[in-house]
Amino acid sequence: MAENTTRGHMHPISSFIREANRIFFDMGFAFAEGPLLESEHYNFDALNFEKDHPARDMQDTFFIKDEPGYLLRTHTSPVQVRYMEAQIKKGIQPPYRIVVPGKVFRNEATDMGHEAEFFHIEALAVDTDITLAHLKGTLAQFFSGMFKGTQVEVRFRPSFFPFTEPSVEVDMRITGENAPEKLRDKWMEMGGAGMVHPNVLRNAGVDPEKYQGFAFGFGIDRLAMLRWGIDDVRLMHSADLRFINQF
Amino acid sequence: MKISRNWLGTFFDRSLPEAPALADALTFHAFEIESIENVRLTKSNIEDQILDVKVTPNRGHDCLSHRGIAKELAAILDLRMKPDALREATSLDHATDAVSVSIQRSDLCNRYIAGYMQGVKVGPSPDWLKSTLESIGQRPINNVVDATNFIMFNLGQPLHAFDASKLKIENGKLNIVVRNAKEKEKMVGLDDNEYILAKSMLIIADGNADAAIGIAGVKGGKPAGVSEATKDIIIESANFDGASVRKAAQALKLRTDASFRFEQGLSPELAAYGMHAVAVLIQMLAGGEIVGFADEYPFRTRRVLNPISLTLAKINAVLGTSLKDSDIADAFTRLDLPFKQNGDSFTVTPPFERLDLTIPEDLIEEVARIVGYDKIPTTPLSSLDSARGKPHVNPNFAAAERVREEMMGKGYSEVFTSVFAEKGERVVANKADGTRPYLRSTLVPHLKDAYEKNKHNKDLLGLMDVRIFEIGTVWKGRTEIMMLGTADKSGVKEIPLKPVEADSYEDHPLSTTERYQPFSKYPFIVRDIALWTPQGTEPVEVLDAIRREAGTLLVRSEKFDEFKKGGKTSFAFHLVLQSFEKTLTDAEANAVMEKVNTAVKEKGWEVR
Repeated sequence: MAENTTRGHMHPISSFIREANRIFFDMGFAFAEGPLLESEHYNFDALNFEKDHPARDMQDTFFIKDEPGYLLRTHTSPVQVRYMEAQIKKGIQPPYRIVVPGKVFRNEATDMGHEAEFFHIEALAVDTDITLAHLKGTLAQFFSGMFKGTQVEVRFRPSFFPFTEPSVEVDMRITGENAPEKLRDKWMEMGGAGMVHPNVLRNAGVDPEKYQGFAFGFGIDRLAMLRWGIDDVRLMHSADLRFINQF
Repeated sequence: MKISRNWLGTFFDRSLPEAPALADALTFHAFEIESIENVRLTKSNIEDQILDVKVTPNRGHDCLSHRGIAKELAAILDLRMKPDALREATSLDHATDAVSVSIQRSDLCNRYIAGYMQGVKVGPSPDWLKSTLESIGQRPINNVVDATNFIMFNLGQPLHAFDASKLKIENGKLNIVVRNAKEKEKMVGLDDNEYILAKSMLIIADGNADAAIGIAGVKGGKPAGVSEATKDIIIESANFDGASVRKAAQALKLRTDASFRFEQGLSPELAAYGMHAVAVLIQMLAGGEIVGFADEYPFRTRRVLNPISLTLAKINAVLGTSLKDSDIADAFTRLDLPFKQNGDSFTVTPPFERLDLTIPEDLIEEVARIVGYDKIPTTPLSSLDSARGKPHVNPNFAAAERVREEMMGKGYSEVFTSVFAEKGERVVANKADGTRPYLRSTLVPHLKDAYEKNKHNKDLLGLMDVRIFEIGTVWKGRTEIMMLGTADKSGVKEIPLKPVEADSYEDHPLSTTERYQPFSKYPFIVRDIALWTPQGTEPVEVLDAIRREAGTLLVRSEKFDEFKKGGKTSFAFHLVLQSFEKTLTDAEANAVMEKVNTAVKEKGWEVR
């Protein structure tokens, strides 16, 4: 039994983040992060969520007791505003390119497909000339990197998020011999994306008359489940080596 | 929202494509479709297809109706609609003094129209109306109530009918008041439930009797409800503040088709179209005479939506396209958005119900989805100016990556455990499942649990001992910090993760696993076997023979001992047996071992 003298195993989410960060780093995206216990300001207000609007219902939020205005972030998007704000404070104008992998929370009952805590990966690119076509191009490059040796197609469908306009849902399809059989030739939902809403740029101190950008946010757990054929999202936080030691 | 294909058909002269084609059109140009259902209504034997359309929150203003979805389809498929009810002039100039309306909270009620009708004959609705409502899962009640529901699902304006004879007349007048509820004011709803209201809630009251007859935008009251005996009615077509309706509906746990629509924020202009349409329909179905309308509309003049200007260049600059001005004009025309074009410049004046259109980007989205997102090219980002150098390396991530490698090098595997704990310094106020509401202030307890749990599986995992680590967030001393925790046979420890300043990330390996294999959740049994073999026998030869015989119950087998004596070699193997279907019994494990023993003996090997 020589197992323990050999290498331990990396959590599949960590492997995914390592690989995604590498792809984005090569495209000029810096790894950025923000707090998990976030303010309502960054999680909602600065992202153009109107108060008392049904859009806030889309996110079932954990609020912190006796700390009004604080919550567990429901997405990685607050980091968009935090990052841009910090750059402006340092006197650095766009171009900005960041990738934000990290933990997020939804206050819901857990089952095979849903977890209260899971991981998102967000990216933001802001410059004078960033377009929706660049979003498609960046996603194609990202997915091609994550599903190497396959042909990747990216498809948009209309959607709504308060912090992007236009907003789209992103679907991906992989084809070719190297595509895992279970995934081959099927459109898969990846997550939301769009062009950064001018109000979000303005809220972060960036001039929306001069700059524009794209952003997307996808669930990593779901992508990892697709990638490795994992059938139960709860395995991710199970700390069960019967699962982890397979990676 | 349920949308009937037959119902949609009433908005067009020509027949519509089949439901799957409509679903596709909506999916790629407007809204997600949750399901398509084929229905046959039992009484009428009418066949229909029902689309469950997930209208996005920005389009709740104008698309929560068959008219709204028909309008979308007309734009997407470039179909000609019959004249649009919301584009025709409506007149409610048949004013009446028999009803007075007073709005005490004009900030929460932008408009209230009371339509007074006398001499209606309440009775069952005609078959077409019954089956139309049934097709979208609504229960027909009577012709007056059904008419109000039909117009709501048709045009999007919630409506309500009161029995006017149940309201008090003073000085020859009915008096409708829109006011806040009194503290603990009670009202029995049409659903026979008694609701205890709060001061913050807006209600409709019979002003002469000072009694609540409806919770604004949410539910009508039982006392003034329409019954078979009703002859005179007051129809309400009003506009209530979305946030106020939403709060009341939430507090009363009473989400209705009306409250759902008001929550989105509706145009007060719509109220007039709703009133006009329902009055005409009720007259058709139940006869009676329209006495007149009392239209209280405090800020009428503010209601025009601002024109939005944008250029072709701006549209292409956001979308990354090379659309022509004719493409833009075509999209606006199909969407029925009034616009003026001056060369490459466009000025759109949104129709009253399109409250979602306020900035140029909103119109760019309209163009994009009508043109089609498949027309957006795939353009790689250009390389960043080399003067800016490579992206900044995140010190926390660099540290986590380095530590991860170190730990794995020492045989530790990485786990993630929950941030929710039994104890901690900060606590979640509204945890859905009610358990472990605290945010952890240490990684230790969960890591200890994980260690204990995995320890039982070490034979199954083929480990001498269990070693795990976690890089995770804790909340301690009012700050959020990243910790490295480890658990092994010597105990559980944690230390803060120290940031690492670097110019680039180290080139660490990735997981090479192709596919995850589901594992059995049942307990396993370990059996050892030791045997003598002639010198020169390879262990793999023996293992192969064992594996062949043990079959699928053998989930792990490995050699743990080997020595030579007297020209023979002794091998010893761990065999881990486990079933995917059930807990394996000792007897079943013994049976497997007997088969294995027999097989190896046949090979001439001697079991020790």
